[in-house]
Amino acid sequence: MSSLLTRVKSKMSIFAHRKARGMLDGEYGSVFKGRSLDFDDLRAYLPGDEVRDIDWKASARHGSPLIKRYVAVRRQTVLLVTDTGRNMAASSLGGEAKKDVAVMALGVVGYLAHRHGDVVGLVCGDEAESRSLPAKAGEAHLERLLRAVNDSTALTSPRSSIGEQLSYVARNFGQRMLLFVVADEVVPDAGMERVLRRLRAQHEVLWLTVRDAQLAGAGPAGLQPARTEAAGAQTAGPPADRYDVADAGLLPGRLAASDTVIRAYAAAQEQRDAARESVLRRLGIAHVQAGSSHDVMPAVFTLLERHRRGK
Amino acid sequence: MELIFWWMIPAALLLGAGTYWLARKREQGRQAALRPVAHGHRLTELPEYQAAVRRHRRWLTVAAIAGGVLMAAALVAAARPAGRSTISPEQRNRDIILCLDASGSMSSADAAVVEVFARLAQGFDGERLGLTVFDSSAVQVFPLTDDYDFVQEQLQAAREAFDGAPGSAGFLDGTWNGAGSSLIGDGLASCVQGFPATDGGGADGSGGSEERSRSVVLATDNFVSGEPIFTLTEAAALARKKDVRVYALNPGDFDYGTDPDQPGAELRAAAEGTGGAYYPLDSPDAVADIIRKVQSTEATAFTAAPKAVVSDRAEIPLGIALVSGLVLAGATWRLRS
Repeated sequence: MSSLLTRVKSKMSIFAHRKARGMLDGEYGSVFKGRSLDFDDLRAYLPGDEVRDIDWKASARHGSPLIKRYVAVRRQTVLLVTDTGRNMAASSLGGEAKKDVAVMALGVVGYLAHRHGDVVGLVCGDEAESRSLPAKAGEAHLERLLRAVNDSTALTSPRSSIGEQLSYVARNFGQRMLLFVVADEVVPDAGMERVLRRLRAQHEVLWLTVRDAQLAGAGPAGLQPARTEAAGAQTAGPPADRYDVADAGLLPGRLAASDTVIRAYAAAQEQRDAARESVLRRLGIAHVQAGSSHDVMPAVFTLLERHRRGK
Repeated sequence: MELIFWWMIPAALLLGAGTYWLARKREQGRQAALRPVAHGHRLTELPEYQAAVRRHRRWLTVAAIAGGVLMAAALVAAARPAGRSTISPEQRNRDIILCLDASGSMSSADAAVVEVFARLAQGFDGERLGLTVFDSSAVQVFPLTDDYDFVQEQLQAAREAFDGAPGSAGFLDGTWNGAGSSLIGDGLASCVQGFPATDGGGADGSGGSEERSRSVVLATDNFVSGEPIFTLTEAAALARKKDVRVYALNPGDFDYGTDPDQPGAELRAAAEGTGGAYYPLDSPDAVADIIRKVQSTEATAFTAAPKAVVSDRAEIPLGIALVSGLVLAGATWRLRS
């Protein structure tokens, strides 16, 4: 049984080699505003660290930037919120199941939190019910969370409704946390926006959108450079026939291959993306999207960066 | 209208049902190969997509109807629709040899007789005609044939020869080889020999020769000068033996009284002895009448038995199949593009 967390860690180590080592940890460490005032020690500056944490006097003496470290008075709690309805079992923009992308994203953030010494919990579910797993530390626990997400998402699951999970979090969690929401291309309606505003007031909220498979034509050009080989495979050959997971309705690819349909679909999608973006920006929620599990690492990095800047 | 291979239809229906069942089974298996996607309504609710679906559906309907019609029409054509009708074909299976005495005593009437023969040949359809000319010896100008253009051509040459047109004298070459002149008995015997063999599986091998009536139209005045190998009576007996009727035309009957040794009476006896007839004529214009009479008696003697004819009537289903096939090709092209 291959471990889901192993896959996450290998993906992260590849990314860490590409970027500066430890950069992600620095980015993650800056997410929280809350810090104790008890000085612990100094460590070398890592890109992504807050500039205001630099101990300028010590740096001047030492010759290179040093960061003041404080004793973490309490453990932060990271709550992974995701959708395990049947929408997430459908294919993503890159061609793999959306739940694979979601598991990768959840794993990356969960593992960063684990390295930072935080506890990680999970809220997942579908239209019918939401369930939660308590926040605990440890890789085994993280693996259990990822497995819960992976196993409960299937084509036979009830329909998706991320709004249900968000209200569940709002109802059941009083403690201040970092919420990491992974969902597909939902467009928040007024009710969900209200819930999000309520959550945003209490928690830090990060949002990652898993891109849906393109239903008409090839993917929009220049969206994610890492996805080019997958998109190339998609455009070659005849358009694939698909079916809707909601009602098993057949969607013949040939019908969606005409220029007018592609143009209309692209316009509608742009509108949906803009609507989602504007709602989340209005609420001050950092948002990023990923089309495949290759996109997850840069996406999470960008997300943390955006969140830090947005503060 | 009836179907010759009527069992084709239930067989094809069974086959079609089996194919449909198999296709349905495979269709269900194919669902697993499709890619599942979420938010399908975001595509299906687009008016542009709905228009494309309507268009697609319209062409699918056209293709389905055309395909169904094509298969039904092909099936009907394969079952061989046939029309059964009863016909009684008019059979004119007569062989007629024109036997012309070219002796000097006939020269005044020959041209007119040939002209009548020519007119006769124009009205024929299905009969075979031959022409033999004799004087002291017989020459077959042309054997039995139904090539009427050729017959006309030869009769035209004969007319020119009898009219004494320049350059036509060669037509009668070979009729003076024997001793004497106007050897009527020899001439008739030669004409009678000009028919194909009468015995079963005869010379022509078709076996059809027995069913054809044989007639000789013998135009002569029966003035013999010389010693024939066959006398007229012997030749008539040969004709009777071969079942050939002799119709004698005598353009110059100069008999007096009832003496049976006179040339006219002798000829009459010979002709009537074979089942034919004798016509003493003073005017060559009457020849047409006689020939018509000969023809009419012969025609009533040969009426064919009614016959059932079965003919394939596949043109309508095949035409429908062609049209629906073209429609199907067009619709398929639209669906593919």
